Amino acid sequence: MSSPVLETENLVKVYGRGPARFDALKGLTFEIHQGESVAIVGKSGSGKSTLMHLLALLDAPSSGVVALEGRPVTALKPKEVSRLRNETFGFVFQQFFLNPNQTVLENVTLPLKIAGVSKSERNQRGMDALEQLEMADKATNKATDLSGGQKQRVCIARALINNPSVLFADEPTGNLDSATSETVEEILFGLHRERGITLVVVTHDDDLAAKCQRRLIMQDGMIVAEETGAAPASAAAPQVPTAAPQPRRRGLLPFGRRKGGRA
Amino acid sequence: MNVVDLTLTAFANTLRSKLRTALTVLAIVIGAFTLALTTGLGAGINQYVDDMVAGFGEEDQIYVMPGGDMEAGQAATSGPQEYDPDAGGSSEQMWGQQMLSEEDIETIESIDGITNVDPIVFVTADYLETPDGDQYALNELGLPADAGAMELAAGERPDRDAMEITVPETWLAAFDDSTEAYEDVDPNSVLGETVEIGISNMLGEQSTLEAEIVGVSEQAISGIGGAPMPSQALNQELYDIQTSGLEVEQEEAYIQAVADVENLAENEAEIKAALQEEGLAGMTLEDLLGVIQGIIDTVTWVLSGFALIALLAASFGIVNTLLMSVQERTREIGLMKALGMSSGKVFGLFSMEAVVIGVMGSIIGAGAGVIVGLVGNAWLTGGPLSNVAGLVLYAVDPLGLLGICALIIVIAFLAGTLPASRAAKKDPIEALRYE
Repeated sequence: MSSPVLETENLVKVYGRGPARFDALKGLTFEIHQGESVAIVGKSGSGKSTLMHLLALLDAPSSGVVALEGRPVTALKPKEVSRLRNETFGFVFQQFFLNPNQTVLENVTLPLKIAGVSKSERNQRGMDALEQLEMADKATNKATDLSGGQKQRVCIARALINNPSVLFADEPTGNLDSATSETVEEILFGLHRERGITLVVVTHDDDLAAKCQRRLIMQDGMIVAEETGAAPASAAAPQVPTAAPQPRRRGLLPFGRRKGGRA
Repeated sequence: MNVVDLTLTAFANTLRSKLRTALTVLAIVIGAFTLALTTGLGAGINQYVDDMVAGFGEEDQIYVMPGGDMEAGQAATSGPQEYDPDAGGSSEQMWGQQMLSEEDIETIESIDGITNVDPIVFVTADYLETPDGDQYALNELGLPADAGAMELAAGERPDRDAMEITVPETWLAAFDDSTEAYEDVDPNSVLGETVEIGISNMLGEQSTLEAEIVGVSEQAISGIGGAPMPSQALNQELYDIQTSGLEVEQEEAYIQAVADVENLAENEAEIKAALQEEGLAGMTLEDLLGVIQGIIDTVTWVLSGFALIALLAASFGIVNTLLMSVQERTREIGLMKALGMSSGKVFGLFSMEAVVIGVMGSIIGAGAGVIVGLVGNAWLTGGPLSNVAGLVLYAVDPLGLLGICALIIVIAFLAGTLPASRAAKKDPIEALRYE
């Protein structure tokens, strides 16, 4: 685990202004290293989704910096950011977001199509990805004909197709029963172990979080706890730690944290 | 996303809600169909008129009328004219119409660049006798001045100075006893035959003239070629007979004269000016047909204007359809953007869908227009209008059709820019949350 693949500095996200102002993130500074598996844990409203959106370059921070492989991306042009997203990240969503009109193969190869890869290469790599997830026999099915677990596997195949260095999973098991969740988790952590993909999981499922090497526990827009070590007893993940460690500050400018940030 | 994928995806997307796309396309089709039909109609009729002009091309003729005629025709500037007793000398009145006198003819002949002047005279002959001895009533004779515009089925136009004549193809059965239908007679078979024309003078004394058939004419929409057409020399001889017999010398008067001009294209303006100075008006055939073509063009433009209004309405259909499409596919747009599709490409995808609709509409509409135009042309010129030789009601104008398709595609693209920019502006996070 050498260089940080993703790092943030004083990351702030504010929605609205005036009395409607809502500080979703209140100055987060942390690093995610190459090949790490990190869970961002917290209740809804804790800011974990916002943080993931910023890390995944889907949204721009109000202030602060997100750096990808040591390069700040906040200043990049939207087109460049889109390209980075396409080439560097894979996304697994809770709601799958599969296109019902298209076949499984077409859904899986969408990122390559966006990247402008030729059709034959697309289909080749799409079939490879589907084979890895044991879904090759469903390649020509419509996406709607699949079960939830199969859909999520297609989703993972889509996320893997462009060999991403970081895989973002937003509640990947949120819509699945426990048996299927188990399978999907195995697939995700198998990929992490075998291919060294950096895994960033956003979840409120403690079992899933416990499988990650590191857990960032969020509350009210701050990281209130950071745990390391894979798979402790699932009960060991405290929802509200008594002593919240301060996030590291590396910025040149002192960041004045607001008290009682929520207006 | 490369251009091929963008286009194919856009095409596949338009086929998702087939009925909606079909209805949108149909609106475009109506506009394209109408445009293809009106422009083809204009092109066809203009082509027909051009064909008629082409017949005159080498003749270099100018039609000369008394100036008053022209002024009456172009009354916009002329008020009542003061009577000038001396002015009457050069032109005479007949049936209330100003006529050209011999003097005028000489004046015209003296103008530089004019090589020859033939006054137009109306000859009423009695009969035409075929080599078999059968006599047919000659109610009407063609004007030699029209010979240039005559469409020929066989042979050639009568030579100016020879005693020659052409007959219309509808007369062919008169020369062949074996059949009643003129369509069965080979027009070439009558060429070289000699006919006799009987004509009476002022006293009713009949005499005959012989003429050789040199051509077989088809009747054109203007009526030219629908009657036997004598050569200038034959016509003059007939006219001389027709007006002879009276002791009193009659003052000659002509409605019009046809002047042969050297190099009409270069001298046209000069000669017209010279004629105007003499109180005469000159018009080339192109002037005459130009008026017709101007009317045809105006009608074509007016009809095309209606088609453009239809297209404008159809373009709002595209806006509507694509706005619905953008709304329905909000999450899909969000996903594509999350997976790294740039806003520009999203814009491209949706405007390409508009273009696809435009392409489908224009191809189907223009294709249908061409087919209906050609079938209608074949049916009309082969059926109800079959006696008008060389008539073209519809012509395929490839450049015009390409222009129509390009215009429609541009309109479709413009209509697509509003929905496409909406799609491009969508925030991926918001779009993915959209229910």
